[in-house]
Amino acid sequence: MSQIELYAFLSGCLLATFLTSSLFFWRFWNKTQDRFFAIFSFAFFLLGLERLPLTFNPLQETKGYVYLIRLLAYILILVAIADKNRSLKRK
Amino acid sequence: MIPIVYLLCGLTSLACAICLLSGYSRRRSRILLWSGLCFIGLAINNMLLCLDMLVFTDVSFLIWRTSAALAGAVILVYGFIWEMV
Repeated sequence: MSQIELYAFLSGCLLATFLTSSLFFWRFWNKTQDRFFAIFSFAFFLLGLERLPLTFNPLQETKGYVYLIRLLAYILILVAIADKNRSLKRK
Repeated sequence: MIPIVYLLCGLTSLACAICLLSGYSRRRSRILLWSGLCFIGLAINNMLLCLDMLVFTDVSFLIWRTSAALAGAVILVYGFIWEMV
């Protein structure tokens, strides 16, 4: 197996696990109506979406702009954590 | 601009891991533990990305990076399934 084939396989697995995680968080949001889970669900969806251009065109890495999606996802997660901590302090 | 994006990805993923694990140490919510462990894998992925793109440009860490991220994501999914069943 060449490096490109192995990368495509690992990247596909990563896409699937990110989307699965997004679905789990979505389910938690459905049960609890806690926006913490909704934000996490969307963030993991973005992380999964980010894998598509990286998998089909690994040279995208050198352009770097695709990593802005990843950065947005991480910022959303930090916002969700801060929001949750603030709501717990108010209680 | 692009090196800054790589560095910010590394820093924010590390910050997420630290926040989630410190949240787990306070509240003992298992979802925070599994998410924190996932973000350790993602932080390793992003740190290797910075090293790959900015420092060791002649060597490719592509497979190692992707494997670290996959390990983190698999730990998260494992945690979800373990907690729900």
